[in-house]
Amino acid sequence: MDSNKKYWKGLEELNKTPEFVEKNKHEFAEPIPIEDVLSGDGLAAGKSPRRDFLKALGFGVGAVTLAACQKVPVHKSLPYLIKPEEITPGVANYYASTYEGSAILVKTREGRPIKVEGNPNDILSKGGLSAQAQASVLDLYDVNRLKSPSKNQSDCAWSVADSYVKDELAAIKAGGKKIGIISSTTNSPSTLAVIADFITQYPTAKHINYDAVSYTGIIQANQNSFGKSVLPHYNFDKADVIVSFGADFLGTWISPTEFIRQYVQNRNSKSLENKKMSRHIQFETGMSVTGTNADVRIPIKPSEEGVALVTLYNAISGTTLPGTKKLANSNADKALMLVAKELMAAKGKALVVAGSNDVATQVLVNAINSLLGSYGTTIDLDNPSYQYKGNDAEFVEFVSQMKRGEVDAVFFLNANPVYDYFVSKDVVDGLKKVRLKVTFSNYSDETAALCNVLAPNHNYLESWGDDNAIEGFYTVQQPTINPVYDTRQAEQSLMVWSDNPVKEYYTYVRNNWDKTLLAIGGLSGQSGWETLLQTGFVKAAPKPAGTYTFDRDLNAVAQTILDHSNQLAQGKLELQIYQTVAMRDGKRANNPWLQELPDPVSKVTWDNYVCMSPSDMKKWGYFDGSVVKVDANGYSVTLSVVSQPGQAQGTVSVAVGYGRTLSGPVGNGVGKNAFPFHSLRNGTFQTSATAELTATGEVSILAQTQTHHSIEGRNSIIKETTFKEYLKNPSSGSDKAEGHKMYSLWDEYEHPTYNWVMAIDLNACTGCGACVVACSAENNVPVVGKDEVRRRREMHWIRIDRYYSFDDKGDGGITREHEIAKLEDLDNVRVVYQPMLCQHCDHAPCETVCPVLATVHSSEGLNHMAYNRCVGTRYCANNCPYKVRRFNWFNYWNDARFDNYLQNEHTQLVLNPDVVTRFRGVMEKCSMCIQRIQAGKLKAKIEKRSMKDGDVKVACQQTCPANAIVFGDANDPNSEVSKALKSERTYYVLEELDTKPGIGYQVKVRNISEIDV
Amino acid sequence: MRSISFILKQFSRSVLLIAGFAFLGFSAYAQGDAAKGEALFKANCTTCHKIDQQLVGPALGPQLDSETDEKFLTKWIQNNQALIAAKDPKAVAIFKQFKEANMTAFPQLSDGDVANIIAYVHDEWKKEQKAKLTPAAGQTAAESGPSDLVIFALIGVIILAFIVILVLNKVIAALERVVLSNKGLFVEEVAVEAAPVDRLATFKRLAKNKKLVFFVLLCGTLALGSWTWVTMWNTNVHTGYQPVQPIKFPHDLHAGAMKIDCQYCHTGAYRSKNASIPSLNVCMNCHKVVKTESPEIHKIYDALGYDPATQKYDSTKSRPIQWVRIHNLPDLVYFNHSQHVKVAGLKCQTCHGPVQTMKEVYQYSPLTMKWCVQCHKRTNVDFKGNAYYDNMIAVHKLIKEGKQVTAAAMGGIECGKCHY
Repeated sequence: MDSNKKYWKGLEELNKTPEFVEKNKHEFAEPIPIEDVLSGDGLAAGKSPRRDFLKALGFGVGAVTLAACQKVPVHKSLPYLIKPEEITPGVANYYASTYEGSAILVKTREGRPIKVEGNPNDILSKGGLSAQAQASVLDLYDVNRLKSPSKNQSDCAWSVADSYVKDELAAIKAGGKKIGIISSTTNSPSTLAVIADFITQYPTAKHINYDAVSYTGIIQANQNSFGKSVLPHYNFDKADVIVSFGADFLGTWISPTEFIRQYVQNRNSKSLENKKMSRHIQFETGMSVTGTNADVRIPIKPSEEGVALVTLYNAISGTTLPGTKKLANSNADKALMLVAKELMAAKGKALVVAGSNDVATQVLVNAINSLLGSYGTTIDLDNPSYQYKGNDAEFVEFVSQMKRGEVDAVFFLNANPVYDYFVSKDVVDGLKKVRLKVTFSNYSDETAALCNVLAPNHNYLESWGDDNAIEGFYTVQQPTINPVYDTRQAEQSLMVWSDNPVKEYYTYVRNNWDKTLLAIGGLSGQSGWETLLQTGFVKAAPKPAGTYTFDRDLNAVAQTILDHSNQLAQGKLELQIYQTVAMRDGKRANNPWLQELPDPVSKVTWDNYVCMSPSDMKKWGYFDGSVVKVDANGYSVTLSVVSQPGQAQGTVSVAVGYGRTLSGPVGNGVGKNAFPFHSLRNGTFQTSATAELTATGEVSILAQTQTHHSIEGRNSIIKETTFKEYLKNPSSGSDKAEGHKMYSLWDEYEHPTYNWVMAIDLNACTGCGACVVACSAENNVPVVGKDEVRRRREMHWIRIDRYYSFDDKGDGGITREHEIAKLEDLDNVRVVYQPMLCQHCDHAPCETVCPVLATVHSSEGLNHMAYNRCVGTRYCANNCPYKVRRFNWFNYWNDARFDNYLQNEHTQLVLNPDVVTRFRGVMEKCSMCIQRIQAGKLKAKIEKRSMKDGDVKVACQQTCPANAIVFGDANDPNSEVSKALKSERTYYVLEELDTKPGIGYQVKVRNISEIDV
Repeated sequence: MRSISFILKQFSRSVLLIAGFAFLGFSAYAQGDAAKGEALFKANCTTCHKIDQQLVGPALGPQLDSETDEKFLTKWIQNNQALIAAKDPKAVAIFKQFKEANMTAFPQLSDGDVANIIAYVHDEWKKEQKAKLTPAAGQTAAESGPSDLVIFALIGVIILAFIVILVLNKVIAALERVVLSNKGLFVEEVAVEAAPVDRLATFKRLAKNKKLVFFVLLCGTLALGSWTWVTMWNTNVHTGYQPVQPIKFPHDLHAGAMKIDCQYCHTGAYRSKNASIPSLNVCMNCHKVVKTESPEIHKIYDALGYDPATQKYDSTKSRPIQWVRIHNLPDLVYFNHSQHVKVAGLKCQTCHGPVQTMKEVYQYSPLTMKWCVQCHKRTNVDFKGNAYYDNMIAVHKLIKEGKQVTAAAMGGIECGKCHY
């Protein structure tokens, strides 16, 4: 066991602050007031504690006896009056549908959707699904959704709203003033056709795509460079060398789930076995999910990004653009030279991406990619992505038109500019001058508050529709439940208001597919439509991706970039605005599953915050939780500071998507709104600014899950190696060679039927957190809220541990004990993610300490937890070396204190009926989705066949876009999991304890070559 | 009481029948043979027609009353489509009236057959109308049976009678005493008072016997203890639970006498974890036609918003039937019917008892964990013919060791197999 590696979860642990050391000694997060009770004001305080005791005892026994005397309640059973043919109570039905362009399967029970799963044939993510998509099913049952249309802030019938809107539209048509349809990117062919019909009816109407987080910069740059105003389709799987300048493509950038799948293809076990691994270099400001996964990560300020790109262009092209200056950051400068060499060596298999929304920056990136021969290989302009089509300038122009009083009607479809436009006041002022303001929002949100007609749209699980995420890939959306509330599909509303000859939107979608889209998949007619509803999508053969050569003049572009850099560099601090993986642009702020999902890097829940480099914090005298005022672009917010190793010095990062005021009770007041920090420059929204910080002197502790589970200096938890070492010796890092002789105190268990085990590839896991939400949805894991997370009582059965280590000093990414003291290294930290869940140990320490045998071993290699047997001693949690057991401190599903999250009659409909909800005072933990194992076995028995590998997929495995989790039967030597566990990279966490875990991890490999800094 | 109403009904029917036959002699329509007609009617017409009620087709009694053109009727019955095709105005009108639904053609029926059928229908219709008029009053009284009030009154009378007897006894005793006192014979009472002293003495003597006291106390403790033990163990065990259901559904009739397969109604048992209570459309498969007059069946109609006269459903009037759940496992245990019924091939009666003899269903088995585990320990897995078990090491091992392949031996009593 290598004892010189040092991983740490948080700065407290690293620095061994006195508070941390003190806390760590205790079994419980908060001291139990035994002393208080036994002395002082406790038992001795009363005059006659013995009498009080007897009174209490008598009363207690009496109360319990009385309570036990109640009659057993009579249970009613209500069968269907007329049972729908396709429903068998107790059996799940699956329907193909689409979520934001990805093909999905919706699992329904007794006619209500309870889980969203990826469609294994999906073109984009092949069955993987993001945390947001997993959580989307909860929105359907949100009691805070609008329950009926309303006119002038009072509920009304649809007919009333219809006649009002139609009368107004007729008058507006006669007046001839403008009508705006503002939507976030709409790529549904049928929706676009309905909007087009609407515009035909009202010729002054205009459809504007407005994205709160915009990609206009890339679209405009492609227009300028190649005359194609599109977002290209990136192929990370075809790239051997990936260089990203602040593009968080594994977390939030364009289509992260798809990119994770592509990216991991060149880094997972299969690729490593073929001696192939891509290289990924990230230049960025804040620590993003992508940055944490990179082989080499160089922190740069936003102001350095432009200069760095110019430097890189110069190095690759061999020319010098006018105004070029040397990068002040010598580390980055050195790295860029080496990166240029690597990129050139991988010509045709290289990819450079930038997260900036600045047109000039993106034009320069296009020029670099053109030099690298990326077009036609790693970048596809001929099969573009339609996931983002927003046009910033158009919307800015529209807002000024509203302010000038040129607009008479505006319709908001999935858009909430009052919250997410950078000058919210302009929208508010403008709306005052608009006669008819309609929103299709599901919620009475910030924009809806200013509209005179609310025409609530269906949830996507109640709707017909379609999507077109990338060229030639059309997905269909079908309703899986009758509308829960009195809502109406936005397209239907538009059709009614524009007197569309087609009366039903379903018919409209049907016609649209019959006319054009079905033919793409070689389908036709009724049978074709039925096939489509089963497969979920059609895909045309991709067009050949053309090669494009950049031949525009770059002098002006370089000038613009450098000017901007100079401007940014003038301030004291630079501010970077980013999206978190969980909350993205904040549209799903009222979703408690997402609010409680810890950020992959900072591990903060229920808040946004100011990320700062630890050395900056030391300099400014801040500590974790200090509340500071951030001033930028004439707007300011007060937020807590989080020390973020890896954050570029002299910068702070703040996430958008928080600070909603009218999202519903879950999201209201969570964090602060960072959208106003945006600015407009050359027609696009900019995500960086100069900022000033002022201390407020207050302290607000964030709900961070980071240091909850100390690793106590144990060094066999995380293991990693470098690609170079791996090529020499595939078992490097896993310590296979050491070959300790193990002695066991316990008897071996036999696994005569199955032996369910899991393999997790640390090299594939990107830490995105989709598994955490999928697990919550599958296993009815409760949400506990910010306060309880602060008390370390989060209930997630699977967590993703994030371990930092220092960047290497030439020794294979291993940080030596003595190097840790040097704080300046905190800029260059490495990160390893490790999904941690019950290890289902064969020699489980929890089992031996349970006094009531509530947790016992099964013959199938699982560690069973019988909730109804548990009396809540918590001995098991105390004895578990992996700290994966969770205690129900409250009756979360039936306690008014948790009202906002899951405890109400509607959200309870999302519960998985095959899994029980746990009561207060009971321990729970990962069951390896035993309900799925049992269902899989039963299916095989009914079909009279043996179990096949892949019959059972656990929830976390199913949703993982990286396929980092493999689950199966170790008794079957040919199963995927058996093969994975045979890999030389496999090791078991805390192997030396002889717990014989059922989950094997595969060593993290980093592709670090000699040319690294 | 039901038997009384039954006898009454039978009696009134036979009276009616005689009256009917008597009437027959004078009947103007009696050209065909009604007896032959009955057989033909039952063979050909009952699928769609009833005499007094509309079924798929119209109620034939009133229909034939209004339609007297027998030639037309014969043609219509033999081949109505031909009539419609020939644009016979009357035929077309009827066709339109019944939403252009064709009646099955019966070309195999001769003119005589049709006449027989018509005769039978006329007879039956007459009988029914008569029946409605004459004995209506008596029948309803008989059917309603003795009311609760009558029963209470009877009980009251009996109790009163007892009280009267007691009072009379007292009076007799008092009178006897008066007579005795008049005779001056009071000495006996002293002797009576001496008796209890003797009895107490016996008791005291017995109480001094320590062995006896110990024995009595021990018995008492044991009895009380075992009673407590049994009561505690059976808390929340509802064997024999037989709630009153909203509809008196007789399982003994359906599953017993009629031998309808359990899974005809409880369709989920093969496929799902829930055996499921049948939805009402399953009931309507038969009860659209069978026993339509029963008030219990009318509860189904009411729940569905179904009007048997017009045969139309009105979903606005429909409301679910609230059955009382009898077999109720707690949420913390997962039970799957298909595992037991389809895979293991268990009979429903193994757990649910002799349902085919139950007029009202009650809980037969205790449904306790002990009961589950016992069965899992005793029952062998039915692995023959199921390829699922072919490659299972456990099965081969157990057989090799000469052990029984019970559900428990296959891991069927591990906590997590049911509790998750």
